[in-house]
Amino acid sequence: MNLLPRRRAVHWIVLAREFFDETSVSALVTLAVGTVSLLSSLGLFLNASPLTSVPLLVFLVSITYGWIRHRELTARAVTMAMTASTILILALIVVFIFVEAWPIFDVARAEVFGISVPGLRLFTQAEWAPRSAERYSLLPLIHGTVMVTVVATLVAGPLGVASALFVSEIAPPTVREIVKPGIEILAGIPSIVYGFIGFTIISPWASEQFDLVGQGTYLFVGAVVGLMALPTVVSVAEDALNSVPESMKNGSLALGTTDWQTMTTITLPAAFSGVSAAVLLGVGRAIGETMAATVMLRNSPQLPEPLYNVFYGYDTLTSAIAAQYGEATGNQLSALFAAGVVLFITVLFLSIGSQLIERRMKRQLGGQE
Amino acid sequence: MSTITGRNALVSGKTSRYEFVAGGMIAVSALLFALGVASLFEFVTLTDPIAGLPTVTVLGGLLVVIGGGVIGLGGASRLELIETTPDRSAGLVAAGVFGSLWFGIGSVVGTELLGIGGSGGLVPGLLLGGGAFAVTVLTREDISSTVPAGVLAIFAGAVFLAGVLGPGWSWSPGSFPSDNAVTFFPSVVVPGSVLLCSLLVGWASAKAYAGFGARGRHLGAHVLIYLNALAIIAVLFGLVGFVVSKGAPTAFTGFTIGLGVGPEVTALGVSFSLPVSWPFLMNGASVFVKIDGILPAVVGTVWLVIGAVLFAVPLAVGAAVFLAEYADEGRFTSVVEVATNGLWSTPSIVFGLFGASFLIPRFGGSKSLIAGMLTLGFMLLPLVLITSREAMLAVPDGYRDASAALGVSKWQTIRSVVLPAALPGIVTGVILGVGRIAGETAPILVTMAGGTLPAGSETIDVIGGFEFISTPPFVTNEALLEASSALPYQLYALITAGLGGPQFEDAPFSALDFAWANAFVLLTVVLSFYAIGIATRYYFRRKLNR
Repeated sequence: MNLLPRRRAVHWIVLAREFFDETSVSALVTLAVGTVSLLSSLGLFLNASPLTSVPLLVFLVSITYGWIRHRELTARAVTMAMTASTILILALIVVFIFVEAWPIFDVARAEVFGISVPGLRLFTQAEWAPRSAERYSLLPLIHGTVMVTVVATLVAGPLGVASALFVSEIAPPTVREIVKPGIEILAGIPSIVYGFIGFTIISPWASEQFDLVGQGTYLFVGAVVGLMALPTVVSVAEDALNSVPESMKNGSLALGTTDWQTMTTITLPAAFSGVSAAVLLGVGRAIGETMAATVMLRNSPQLPEPLYNVFYGYDTLTSAIAAQYGEATGNQLSALFAAGVVLFITVLFLSIGSQLIERRMKRQLGGQE
Repeated sequence: MSTITGRNALVSGKTSRYEFVAGGMIAVSALLFALGVASLFEFVTLTDPIAGLPTVTVLGGLLVVIGGGVIGLGGASRLELIETTPDRSAGLVAAGVFGSLWFGIGSVVGTELLGIGGSGGLVPGLLLGGGAFAVTVLTREDISSTVPAGVLAIFAGAVFLAGVLGPGWSWSPGSFPSDNAVTFFPSVVVPGSVLLCSLLVGWASAKAYAGFGARGRHLGAHVLIYLNALAIIAVLFGLVGFVVSKGAPTAFTGFTIGLGVGPEVTALGVSFSLPVSWPFLMNGASVFVKIDGILPAVVGTVWLVIGAVLFAVPLAVGAAVFLAEYADEGRFTSVVEVATNGLWSTPSIVFGLFGASFLIPRFGGSKSLIAGMLTLGFMLLPLVLITSREAMLAVPDGYRDASAALGVSKWQTIRSVVLPAALPGIVTGVILGVGRIAGETAPILVTMAGGTLPAGSETIDVIGGFEFISTPPFVTNEALLEASSALPYQLYALITAGLGGPQFEDAPFSALDFAWANAFVLLTVVLSFYAIGIATRYYFRRKLNR
């Protein structure tokens, strides 16, 4: 019917036929044995069978044989299997956290126009009471994540882009050699160390300075998380700024503009998509940041009053999982997985969005190089 | 023409005086900024006098001076007493900043001080904010970038000088309920407004110094960007220095070097004493040792890293080889790219959830070392894959062509040409990736967490744990299936256990000191990986460039 898929299928068959004709029988057998044994050990592992190691052993033997006799083909096949593992891992993550989260989606159904939508009740009421009422809501957690992320983006976005401009356009070489690794090392400080400093120093200080009831504020968690997301923004934005062709900058400077005019009228607009991708990735980092939030927040999901009150921090999606996972069972555990699903989907969309933006930028600049 | 030369002599004299004043204003702003930082961190207390005057009065006076000064600079330029090159307006960004600042001040004054209820309190805010926005957009640049900033500084300074913000002053927004109440005290409001005003005035003076226009913007922006870079580096050094100063003394308690002072170890059947004794790293935590330590956590972290590297690095490098050398650009590679970047940005706690639901039921049903290893391996995979692939793509095609021209096979080219050339990049990627996963807490919290303060006898022994049996799966290792501690997890466990309790009765330090020392060791381990990684890259880059 449709010509294109058929033509593609024919193309594939021709390629496969060529491959079979060119490859020796023993190589084909090795390939088949290796593939079957790898797939079956994977299947057995998914079933938690102790027999997993048997096909794994067969697989190892077959690739050892293949390595000695048919090195080219084996190298190609093995590296291809390794590449496929990245897709497999992502798929497994999706399947497993969805499966674990399904019970709560099934319980928390709500009717919309007569259709029962699974999981809708998680988003329509705002109470999280696992012990007393078995009620779960992701709303306070999402609210907390949004508050922290907004503050973090206000910190990491402007400061990160300014630092990227500094490192890539302004700094003299010797200063750059200090500042650039410095920012990278900032990325290396473990989040629990930030959290520990926040817990022992910043939270008590904030409670005293603002006369708060208890400890834990979205404002300072957001500031700390922003500091942690900053290096991501800087390194990606710097790459984007560096990829603007030098000839464009020089052309502008030759007209007698100042450095700053070139940056604002040529470099930043040309690298705009890359820079916004950097900020998106920073937002993704801030959303996923766990330990600093867990340690510094109050770990009791609820909404502050008024909603924009940044001085009271209760819980985020990440901190709820980390803090409650130990004692959670049944529906509560499932609700935590639901929080994980929301996190995963949000961050995946941010990641894909930033990739599309970056690709667009490469296409645009590619024509001018 | 002659009139112009005549004027120029006059102007140059005035210009230098003008530049002198503007430079002075920048210096005073910098001083005020430093004072603001110092009083925010309580190096300077607001109640103490400076040179006989109360600190708040001094700060207020300085604010009024720089506010008046910067308006003077703008006015001098507007009245064309000196030669400048202002644009028609300061631009929308500056207008937005000034507008929202004045909107905030007006709203607070309207709702709280004038007592206008409801949304009516926002009217003064809208008026002031709109006014500041209009002034900034509609007037010439020399007026629009100096006057809003200067008036703000004078306003703040006058409030300080009038003594409104005395020791007893406080303000809490009335619309916040009592269990979510916030109160602002002078100890935060004063340094905060000083920092803000000095930044704005410093920026405006820098613009004035360079005569506004393109050069003015250039200088103003550079001042802010340099300050930003300086602040980030200061934060970095401040953080690291703070952790070192708090943690190092405890971590080095009882540290001695000398022959035979250390604990006895047995290697290859010979037992001897180590020449170093470092109790904090070589002891567990129990009542039987004088100086409690974190040996189980250190060993746990070492095994975690080894396991994750053994699992992820071959997989990642192999995948990078395929992507860079074998695969043609197509649907498969773009799906892999999306998947890799997706894995890169997946939050660590989601990896933890995945490990808990996928790995734990398949490895004995309880939290275990191997579940932690593999979970961290999943996290390490995209980090190493992306850097390795970039390193291989950076190998010039000429190398590959030269090798292929010798008639060798593709794999031989990869093994003896591409991989050696890309090795520095791969190694750097691995080291930096390991640094990142070594400090991860969230994934191991849900997949392998052990006790809060494990004793020395709970140190995991992976090598001794291997056993071979005759039924599948043929190899077992009890140690891999046990829960273990690790440096970042132990710090978290100490925090959740509460840092106040006297857990160490016979030890020379408190629980809080112990936690700081733990943080110090963790930071040292992770930052050494980063330092080595960055140094390796630097070394090889220089070697390449030479």
